[in-house]
Amino acid sequence: MAVAQAAVQAPIVDAIAQAQRAARRDFMLKFSLTWAVIIAALGLVIYATGNADPAFTLEWGPFILAGIGLTIFICVTSITGATILAVLGALGRLSVNPFLNGLASLYVSLVRGTPLIVQIYFIFYALPLMGVVLDPIPAGIIALSFNYGAYMTEIFRAGIQAVPRGQREAAQALGMPEGLIMRRIVLPQATRIVVPAIGNDFVAMIKDSSLVSVVGLQELLWRANTVGRSNQQIIQALLIAALVYWALTIVFSYFQARLEKRLAKGDR
Amino acid sequence: MLARIKSNGVIRVGTDPNYAPQSFQKADGTFDGFDVEVANEIAKRLGVTVKFETPDFSVVEAGNWADRFDISVGSMTVSEKRKGVLDFTEPYYFTPAQMAVIKDIGITSLDGLAGKKICVGEGTTYYQWLTGTLVLGDGGALAPVPAGAEALTQKTDQDCAQSVKSGRRDADGWLSSSTTVQEAIDKGTPFVTVGDPLFFEPLAVATDKAAPPHAELQAELDRIVKEMHTDGTLSKLSMKWFDKDLTTKQ
Repeated sequence: MAVAQAAVQAPIVDAIAQAQRAARRDFMLKFSLTWAVIIAALGLVIYATGNADPAFTLEWGPFILAGIGLTIFICVTSITGATILAVLGALGRLSVNPFLNGLASLYVSLVRGTPLIVQIYFIFYALPLMGVVLDPIPAGIIALSFNYGAYMTEIFRAGIQAVPRGQREAAQALGMPEGLIMRRIVLPQATRIVVPAIGNDFVAMIKDSSLVSVVGLQELLWRANTVGRSNQQIIQALLIAALVYWALTIVFSYFQARLEKRLAKGDR
Repeated sequence: MLARIKSNGVIRVGTDPNYAPQSFQKADGTFDGFDVEVANEIAKRLGVTVKFETPDFSVVEAGNWADRFDISVGSMTVSEKRKGVLDFTEPYYFTPAQMAVIKDIGITSLDGLAGKKICVGEGTTYYQWLTGTLVLGDGGALAPVPAGAEALTQKTDQDCAQSVKSGRRDADGWLSSSTTVQEAIDKGTPFVTVGDPLFFEPLAVATDKAAPPHAELQAELDRIVKEMHTDGTLSKLSMKWFDKDLTTKQ
């Protein structure tokens, strides 16, 4: 009886699955078509302004693209620094120690409350007058780490607080010391919760790294800007830079999606 | 500082990547131009190589470089105000400051610029002349500023020309060195020069007063510049880049 039922149900299930797949294919087709049409239209508009100059791209493209390495280096180093600051900041914000709590809260409030570009200028131009002279690269990395660390502190804090209380209570019942609970039980679970938000911040940082061009760091935007202005090809130069940032973002988002899927395996 | 430079074998020179024909950056990342060649020659005579840094001109002009670079070979005018924060060598060349106006506006004399907007680079002597705060280091005469003329600043002199070339009309005139103005006009920017030169600027190599002790470096730089004058190197470079010898005071 059960076998017969299954035999009848199988083709129906197959048909439903197939219909769903077809609907999804249809959706993706129309979605991609929309992207293609809009991008083509934008490309046409830019071409029509008569400013497209392939010779410029061939000659200066490599120079502009050479900035990608520095941009990626700055981003990776800054996000690492920011993550470390964020974990410390989150622990501080949740601390029962009033001094640590006060310090962390002030850090978050101050750094989230001032523009990133002001912080970059300050670290590069104002600190020397107080005796701290930093080269452009360290200055940029410190500014980005500091800034993003403050925002990520709040994300980590929320992540830590989102770990179910039961976890902590169970660990305490097992007699685990506080530090070990945080390190082995809470933080690993909190990390899984915050990965989407951190990934989001990394994507944002890829773009914010362009602000470091204001202190003369020869990364992607600085090169595009300088080269574009001195050769009267600012549209092309900025387009190249914009496309590269977009490509970096797309590539990173893809890897982030895979990481999230992998981390979520335990849920299924 | 001279000892440090010699032992490192490198002198760090501040330059502008967008100030043709004095200095500009090429597609392979290297620099070229009159100032760049002068810097290379100075380094050669010191027995070291050059590393070019690209700080904003307003940063160089303000002094207090925080030891980020050693000297500036950037066609900087010797002015009284700058002497307060920078040490200058003897001038390596002189340029007239030339006013230019956008072609289709139809202004033919300096008086026609009364009440108009004039584009200048940030921190330049051209800006200082327009705002009445310029005192040349050699006490040279300055032409009077057209009544009510306003300054519009861009990051560099070339930005003024480039924005006009791409179609913007934020200002009616442009004030820069005659060499820069001529280069822009030759490249097809719709400017036309107007009036006689407004003043003549002595341009020199600069070091930061707030830098580590550099009396020896300063003396060496002075000696090298004098040498380059007498042996004709500067005149040759001037002819190459400007088609005229600007190395003597006009």
